[in-house]
Amino acid sequence: MSAAVQERAAGPAAPKAGRAPARRAMARWACRLFRREWRRQAFILVLLTLAIAATTVGLGVASNASNLKADPTFGTANSIITLPGSDQGLAGDIAAIRHRFGTVEVVAHQPVPIPGSVSTVDLRDESPRGPFGHVTLRLDSGRYPTGPGEVAVTSTVAKDFGLHVGGVWRAGGRTLRIVGLVENPLDLLDQFGLVAPGQLNPPANVSILLDTDQQSLDSFRLPSGSDLTTGRRSAAPRVQVETFVLVLCTLGLLFVGLLAVAGFTVMAQRRLRALGMLGALGATDRHIRMVMLASGAAVGATAAVVGTIVGLVAWVAFAPTLRTIAEHRVDVFALPWWAIAAAMLLTFVTAVVAAWWPARASARVSIVAALSGRPPRPQPAHRFAALGGVLLVGGVFLLALADQRRPVFIISGTAAAAFGLLFLSPLAIRALAAAGGRSRISVRLALRDLARYQARAGAALGAVTLAVAVAATIAVSASAAQTPSVAGNLPADQLLVHLSSAVNDLQGVPALSASQRQSATRGVEQLASAIHARWVLPLDVAYAPGSGTLSPQPGGAGQEGAHPGAAGGAGGAGGGYPTPALAKVTRIGPGEEVSFVANLYVATPAVLHHFGIPVTQVAGTTDIISSRRDLSGLQVFYPGDQGGPNRASSGIAKPTIQEVAQLPNYTSDPGTLLTSKALRTLGLQPIQAAWLIETGEPLTPTQIQTARNAAAAAGLYVETRNMQASLGALRTWSTAAGILLALGVLGLTVGLLRSETANDLRILAATGAGSGTRRALTGATAGALALLGALLGTAGAYAALLAWHHSDLSPLGHVPLVNLLLIVAGLPLLAAGAGWLLAGREPAMIARRPLD
Amino acid sequence: MRLWPYYTEYATEFDRVMSVRHALLALLCEGPKYGLQLRQEFEERTGEVWPLNVGQVYTTLQRLERDGLVESDGASDAGPQKGFRITSEGMEELAGWLRTPPDLSSPPRDELVIKVLIALHVPGIDVADVMQSHRRYLVELMQEWTRLKEYAADRDLGFALVVDAELFRLEAVIRWLDAADGRIKRAAVDGPASVTSGLPRLPKKAGVLR
Amino acid sequence: MTVLEMRDVSKVYGEGPAEVDALRDVSLTVDSGELVAVMGPSGSGKSTLLTIAGSLEQPTRGDVLVGGSPLSGMSRDDRARLRRRSIGYVFQDFNLLVGLTAAENVSLPLELDGIHAGEARAAATAALDELGLGERASRYPDELSGGERQRVAIARAVVGDRHLLLADEPSGALDSANGEAVMRLIRAACRRGVAGVVVTHDAQLASWADRVVFLRDGRIVDQTAPLPGPESLLASSQNP
Repeated sequence: MSAAVQERAAGPAAPKAGRAPARRAMARWACRLFRREWRRQAFILVLLTLAIAATTVGLGVASNASNLKADPTFGTANSIITLPGSDQGLAGDIAAIRHRFGTVEVVAHQPVPIPGSVSTVDLRDESPRGPFGHVTLRLDSGRYPTGPGEVAVTSTVAKDFGLHVGGVWRAGGRTLRIVGLVENPLDLLDQFGLVAPGQLNPPANVSILLDTDQQSLDSFRLPSGSDLTTGRRSAAPRVQVETFVLVLCTLGLLFVGLLAVAGFTVMAQRRLRALGMLGALGATDRHIRMVMLASGAAVGATAAVVGTIVGLVAWVAFAPTLRTIAEHRVDVFALPWWAIAAAMLLTFVTAVVAAWWPARASARVSIVAALSGRPPRPQPAHRFAALGGVLLVGGVFLLALADQRRPVFIISGTAAAAFGLLFLSPLAIRALAAAGGRSRISVRLALRDLARYQARAGAALGAVTLAVAVAATIAVSASAAQTPSVAGNLPADQLLVHLSSAVNDLQGVPALSASQRQSATRGVEQLASAIHARWVLPLDVAYAPGSGTLSPQPGGAGQEGAHPGAAGGAGGAGGGYPTPALAKVTRIGPGEEVSFVANLYVATPAVLHHFGIPVTQVAGTTDIISSRRDLSGLQVFYPGDQGGPNRASSGIAKPTIQEVAQLPNYTSDPGTLLTSKALRTLGLQPIQAAWLIETGEPLTPTQIQTARNAAAAAGLYVETRNMQASLGALRTWSTAAGILLALGVLGLTVGLLRSETANDLRILAATGAGSGTRRALTGATAGALALLGALLGTAGAYAALLAWHHSDLSPLGHVPLVNLLLIVAGLPLLAAGAGWLLAGREPAMIARRPLD
Repeated sequence: MRLWPYYTEYATEFDRVMSVRHALLALLCEGPKYGLQLRQEFEERTGEVWPLNVGQVYTTLQRLERDGLVESDGASDAGPQKGFRITSEGMEELAGWLRTPPDLSSPPRDELVIKVLIALHVPGIDVADVMQSHRRYLVELMQEWTRLKEYAADRDLGFALVVDAELFRLEAVIRWLDAADGRIKRAAVDGPASVTSGLPRLPKKAGVLR
Repeated sequence: MTVLEMRDVSKVYGEGPAEVDALRDVSLTVDSGELVAVMGPSGSGKSTLLTIAGSLEQPTRGDVLVGGSPLSGMSRDDRARLRRRSIGYVFQDFNLLVGLTAAENVSLPLELDGIHAGEARAAATAALDELGLGERASRYPDELSGGERQRVAIARAVVGDRHLLLADEPSGALDSANGEAVMRLIRAACRRGVAGVVVTHDAQLASWADRVVFLRDGRIVDQTAPLPGPESLLASSQNP
């Protein structure tokens, strides 16, 4: 017998085929455990599920909404040259451009006025197969125009003008037959009519799309010597969007991965005795690792499948909202399936990789220690802390080096900072436990537990910290990025009636006779009653009665952000009296370049009263009152008698600007006003130029049409909101989502930790501790984690943001006190309160200890 | 004979602990029986460990009849064919006896305890050694009883009960040895004073050393 | 036929002032078919002896031979293979993996050793049948009583071709009836040729063994004489 034993024991390793049954047995056990206790793994499962669901929605948004490769105006080109239609040598100039830059796309434009509105419809001859612009065209029904006299229009144009496919449209002196409905899928607010290429002759202007660099564009001169307007697609924000997505992606993966490590560590500790038993039965280290890896795989696979399904459902539900927010064509089923598959795979891999570390650790614990349930001694906290400090500083430094644009630096910096925060957390827990050494027993017990179970408490705190950091970053960034353009031109329940169609140009205020003025006032009254307005506020601009009128100007040179096709100014009242405006004036050689930043209405007593501003609030020395904070360095520009942007200007070079919070911050609203002191300085008088009308309810398309009809009849022009929903709302949502995320993570974490100390609770209950002790224990755990997480997270976020904005710290000057206070004080209080409330229930089966 | 110091009560003090009188009453509870039958059944019930001679049975039966605890079927000579029946007085006597607690208040003279106590004070004697030799002895004894149980206990309930009683009793002695071992070890660590203070003066009432 | 041989085994835990000698020069030989009980108070090194005999721990000094092969020259994986082929463990209370049925628990060492599931399951069911647990084979551990769990653990410890059965207080958490049943099973296994070692502080448990070894402060201080036949006891009692 002894011989037989010896032979088997010392014999060669089991044949290769013999490995499969062992592997199957391990996998079977892991899956059975997963099925039995998936609720205990809910922490990891929920997080992974949420991550993959969010990724799915995010991928849907990214692929549909922010097409990073294309722009609604530029298409896939990066530069645009606009030539006026009045250019005598237009054909020669275009040929020269083509010769100089190679592939170009030439589009002719002709604006068509919309009766009663300041908006125009852009008639263009773009080709659906253009090298750059094809991405900005999409056929909804009918066909593209191919011959003379044919046109395809957008559905908004069709509605505004009462058109239908097969019908006829008389536009700007042309008679066109409607052959199809089209849209700009990248900007659904783009209102245009599309004719076949070469059918706009002569055009009002011509835009040429091309790919080149800034220098060649600047150095290029037209052979005819005519003026040309150039534009470049603003690269900076695009890169930022891309990097932002990348950074979020990195953070998210890291975050979930770390949390999963925490979860699997807990799982491994809970299974320690079983793993020791397995070792005693003769399982090798590989077998033991396999159990944990198989658990990771089970969790990962479940989360990947469930999360993707949840994400797809959420995406289908969210897509219509996204369409209205972004005004992009959103195709629900045009998802990057390969990317979603990759994300699923990544989720799976994340779970398996996260299980690797605990798997390795538990295979290394000696079997005897494992059998008696003694976990390995934790690493001393200060070693982690030193590493954490180095990583955090290094990460912040990398972020500073990144200069807001180098993705590698940004990603590695973010990752390093996040890891640094994570490694600092054990020390923070120790510190808190030491600080709470003299508190009452339940609080002390909670804190000591956190310190004793460092591995999971540290990872949990890391998770909370990261979640809070994300929320704080969003809140601070949202506050830093608060510019008026965010709000749009007008709120949805207001409309502005102008005397002139050329609102933003240097057309001045029209010179009207007294009777004309009277009929205009009557027209506004009729308009207001037709749409059931709540109030009408007349707005004045400043002018000099004695000065001459301006000559009509073609093209809106220097105006920011106008669509090249819409810039022409559609008719209107022609020259009017010059009015002052707030502008940035840069001296270039002999002349000046003037960029207009804001319209200036006059701060009449009526306007001040309307916005609830007491006259005494405006200081006597103030020239301008405004709700905007970004006006420093601007000057009041007044064209004077024979105005023109190139003429040396009069005006106020260094106006005193006073911030008045009550004023509205929409760009077309009277948010920036000239005071009577400035009027005196400039020697100007107020004159009525516009009426602000509010209905109280968001305007319906029917109301807008009614208003336009009424305005057209009275020779007036209506301006309405030109964005559907405000991005501000999106920001609010993301702040809320970030805080919710932090709270959710916190809740899960506290649940995880408390479930681990169920034994303690049982013993406490057995020794007569009532619900008060239980509540205090859970509340203290939650509150301590939340407090540490909030402090560390906010500090980390600020460090990262300081590094990010290190070249210009002014955006951080405005601290979102309320949001931060909510995070730093509110989160711990909320967490402690919730823990207190939820922990009152008697733990089930005090006497019965569940079978390990 | 080597069993003698430990193995005592059930076999040798049978007469004192359980009188034949009550055993016969117990057998007659089941119904009227002849004298010879009574003797056979008695031996079967006690696992044949305790033999009983015929004269003892008949003498006891006569006394029982005299006291009115049993009735005979009238045959004049006390032969094996004479039948006996229990009376209601007999039933009462038996029930009363079964409920009477055995005399545990005054512990038996315990040789082992005395030996260990004395060993503590004999120079050149290692108490632990003494105790270990007793322990080994006791375990060997238990091994033998266990072996008996392993082979026979399934077949005979009464015998199994007796063996269990022996095992538990022996185990109790071993446990006392273990406890004493620990106590002596601690005392040696704490300081010699408590060991050398002579024989403990026990309360008279306990009467361990009577 | 020596199955387990321990030669002058010592085990030291900790270092410096915290050094503890758990075992000192322990030598023990267990033959095939023999059941040896190791008895001693708590802290005497009983469990350490068992874990070293079962290759779960390495001795500080000395040699352990299982089936004639020394453990000292083996790698971790070799020792794991030895455990799943030759050594069966029964612990006091925690023996079965939750999530696996009784039969799967029993077949686990076989499957770990590369035997196909069907074959392993058949062997496991046979082992359970033998212990009278045939109809409980598909139950999970938490659906079994304490005694049944311990019996399943014994089935697992002897399934396949095991030669060495190591039990640490195998009936410690059970009442005496269940404890006796467990010990009967271990004896039965030994009668079939398995070498058994039971460590315990309980004399009743130890009395089931062929030989009782007394351990005190890490040293073997005594052992019982070989057992005479069962008749001797009756004989002695009949003539006091």
